[in-house]
Amino acid sequence: MPLFWLLLACFILAPCACFLLLAVSPRLFGQGGQWFTLTYLHQALTGATAVAIVNSLWVSSAAAVMGVAIGFPIAWLVARTTLPGRRFLPGAMWLVLLLPSWLPALGWERIVQPDGVMYRLGLDWPWVTHAIMGPFGVVLLLGLRCVPFSYLAITAALAGLGQEFEDAARVHGASRVAALRLIIPILAPAIWSALAIGFAESISDFGVAATLAYNSNFSLATYQLYAAIGNFPPSFPLAAGMGWLLVAAVAIPLALQARALRGRSYAVLSGRTRLAVRRQLRGWSQAGATAGVGLFFVVALGVPGFGAVSASLLADYGGSFKLTLANYHALFAQTNLAAAAGGGLLSPIERSLGYGAVTATITVIGGFIAARMLARRRTRATGALDFLLLASVALPGVVFGAGYIFAYNLPIMSRLGINLYQTVTLLIIAYTAASLPTNARVLVGAVSQLQPSLKDAARAHGAGAVIAWARGVLPVVSRPIVMAWLFTFCGVFLELPLSQLLYAPGSPPTSIAIEDNLSNYHFGVGMAQAVLAVAICLTAVGVVLGGYRLLAPAGWRRIGSAIGGGRG
Amino acid sequence: MIRTNRRTGLRLMALLAGTCALALTACSSSSSSSSGASSTPASSATAAAATASAASKVTLVVYSAQGYDSAMTKAFTAATGIPVKLDDNSTGPLLTQIEASKNNPNWGLLWVDGATAFAGLDTQGLLLKGFEPSVAWNSLGTQSVPSDKSYTPTGVTLMAALAYNKNKVKSPPTTWQQLLSAQWKGQVGMNDPSQSGPTFPFIAGMMNYLGGVGAGETYFTKLKANGLIIHPTNGPTLQALTSGQINLALVQSSAAIGAALGDKSIGISYLNPVTLLPSAIGIDAKAPAAEQAEAEKFIEFVLSAQGQKVMQSGDPTGDSLYYPVIQGVSPLAALPSLASATTQSINPYTWGPQEATINTWFDSNIVR
Repeated sequence: MPLFWLLLACFILAPCACFLLLAVSPRLFGQGGQWFTLTYLHQALTGATAVAIVNSLWVSSAAAVMGVAIGFPIAWLVARTTLPGRRFLPGAMWLVLLLPSWLPALGWERIVQPDGVMYRLGLDWPWVTHAIMGPFGVVLLLGLRCVPFSYLAITAALAGLGQEFEDAARVHGASRVAALRLIIPILAPAIWSALAIGFAESISDFGVAATLAYNSNFSLATYQLYAAIGNFPPSFPLAAGMGWLLVAAVAIPLALQARALRGRSYAVLSGRTRLAVRRQLRGWSQAGATAGVGLFFVVALGVPGFGAVSASLLADYGGSFKLTLANYHALFAQTNLAAAAGGGLLSPIERSLGYGAVTATITVIGGFIAARMLARRRTRATGALDFLLLASVALPGVVFGAGYIFAYNLPIMSRLGINLYQTVTLLIIAYTAASLPTNARVLVGAVSQLQPSLKDAARAHGAGAVIAWARGVLPVVSRPIVMAWLFTFCGVFLELPLSQLLYAPGSPPTSIAIEDNLSNYHFGVGMAQAVLAVAICLTAVGVVLGGYRLLAPAGWRRIGSAIGGGRG
Repeated sequence: MIRTNRRTGLRLMALLAGTCALALTACSSSSSSSSGASSTPASSATAAAATASAASKVTLVVYSAQGYDSAMTKAFTAATGIPVKLDDNSTGPLLTQIEASKNNPNWGLLWVDGATAFAGLDTQGLLLKGFEPSVAWNSLGTQSVPSDKSYTPTGVTLMAALAYNKNKVKSPPTTWQQLLSAQWKGQVGMNDPSQSGPTFPFIAGMMNYLGGVGAGETYFTKLKANGLIIHPTNGPTLQALTSGQINLALVQSSAAIGAALGDKSIGISYLNPVTLLPSAIGIDAKAPAAEQAEAEKFIEFVLSAQGQKVMQSGDPTGDSLYYPVIQGVSPLAALPSLASATTQSINPYTWGPQEATINTWFDSNIVR
């Protein structure tokens, strides 16, 4: 455990702390003349930055609530009813989680912008453009992104909630709604957890902030922070001042969570837990539920998928509106050109596959350890861990990237012979550190349901520590672990801000190659490359899930599906 | 029981082996391709020579946002044997890296568009001064070389070119003032300077031409009143042109020409005066002497006949569409002649420090 804390301190705390210190002591890192100043914190609280922070706060709160409002019913429908096609929903929900947030944002923009696909199809609906290209659209997109987090947290909690509570309520004459009023408070830890992670994910999101929100003139804190760094000359201390406010903002849901749950016990899982009975959906209730869930996936996956794919199939910036494979041909021509010069655009994809696999493997191990600590009785140490992990979720990737430069490129490091900056090693460490907090949050639902007796039983029967873990614990958590691995893998595969600042020269990952095309006027080619990259990523997901299905014993899959979601 | 154990163990081993294999493949592919930038010469003979001489040379770290940079670094290594590591990124992240690591820099040279960023780095003492390659500049080159020789121009694009829809616009405007007339109301589009790097030099160029910041602000305010439409960068502005949302687009010349190559309905003209946007290379003042010497060789290679060929073929529908700065090198055939165009250079040391203020004004008053 001390080693785990040391690693957290070196790779999450140190870069974040270095960056945040800049706000009050820019001179420490050669970014100004003052050893101590509050000017930048003051600046962050005034003018355009203050407006952006207020926007971020209310938008993130609304998105987190929307995430629970949609995620809860879907989780309940999947776990407790005979909803048609429910076995495919966990997989589709993972797909929503795996997409980088800029992709749906660009897809939606592509459709509703003033000269977009919607107008070209003859649908003259300026009110839709107005609604999507504004605060409503921003909340909608961020809220959709929160849905999978809520779904996972609540599915995990529902799995441990036996039928007896609903039965008890119904026996005492309660209606279905009244029974729900009994269940919701029991699920409070999961709901609060979903709200907290939804809020932190939304407030740190950059994909929507830099695309849809910015183009709608609706400024969010992460974009303002990015602008403070991206303008020339950059103001790192001002960005750090805004970083302080983002970290402070995360304390709000955590404090509310602690206050709401204090002094209560939510232990519901016992040896006598009764298997939940699925409610038969018929007639209107079935049609309504199916239509609602279908609408969610159309909005979350269908529309952005259509937007991105159509953008990649329109040549000449979409002028002629004729579908063509010209962009894909251009992409392969570009690849051939690069290959002739000795490189290749496919190598960034291969490289990102490697980075994703290595990072995901390390992250899942670290995430599992962190999740176990979070799932234990709350102490000061676990409280601190919870805050550290959630606060680091709230800091955008660009902050992590700059923090790593400040922390690991100090002159003293070079004098000590430690030259980590712009190496693959530091990039993978940074990917891991940035993925670990969310990964731990995704795993905590499954891990919190583990009883020590599972391992103890195996030990009592003579198994060694490793075998006891492999035979007692692993079967129960294998599916959540595979899913958490895939979540990290996909996140790293298309990660941009950290890669931009830290990638090893000469070894560009996929996102850099895509960005290179998008920023060098090859918009259609860039979109084609993005579509191709997402397709490769999803193929890798299919291969891993297929491999799990083939290699894992049937028992692992059956037990794990109860808490991990997702059926291959 | 034992059988089940063994099967579980085998499956675990298979999973672990799969993961390790994937990881190893990844590591090997990344290490092999990471050296790819520096060690893939054009022919095996040059490869052997390059490898032999590379052993005694330090690696030159190139930070670049140019579309042809990958082709150029490979050609340079093949020709000189000097190993190169390329950080190919957008201008913004490259400057962020340089500023964040200025206490302990590890770049050798920076190659991006726009002189204002170089002037900013020079003012902070981050660029090596006094180097000028032994080449014969043409008039575009002479206009772009700074007096303290802290950076070297390698080509120029123009900001802004007027791209228009030939089917709808039979006689495009010929002066900047005409854009304010009722004839073009709601038909003009341009980029947002806080998202599009080349757009600030355009705005500064207009201010320079009109006589100052105030006069420039008045011009853009009138343009907005005439229905100016702002898109983030060159790509979306050109997309608005081809889709018919606007009929006149003020974008970077290379982007406009690249778009016209693929869409024959796009016409291009220059309104006088048009501002030069040099692509330039600056050398890190704190780099080791050996790396600085290699960076100087790199600049000389880029400006040589061989280097210019690579620049003109490395990104044929993008950055290769530049106007050369060396006598005797002709621009690609797709570029319109500059014979009737009046060009102007803005002083990057005067306008660079005003970039943040002017962009903020533009964002608050024109974009919103």
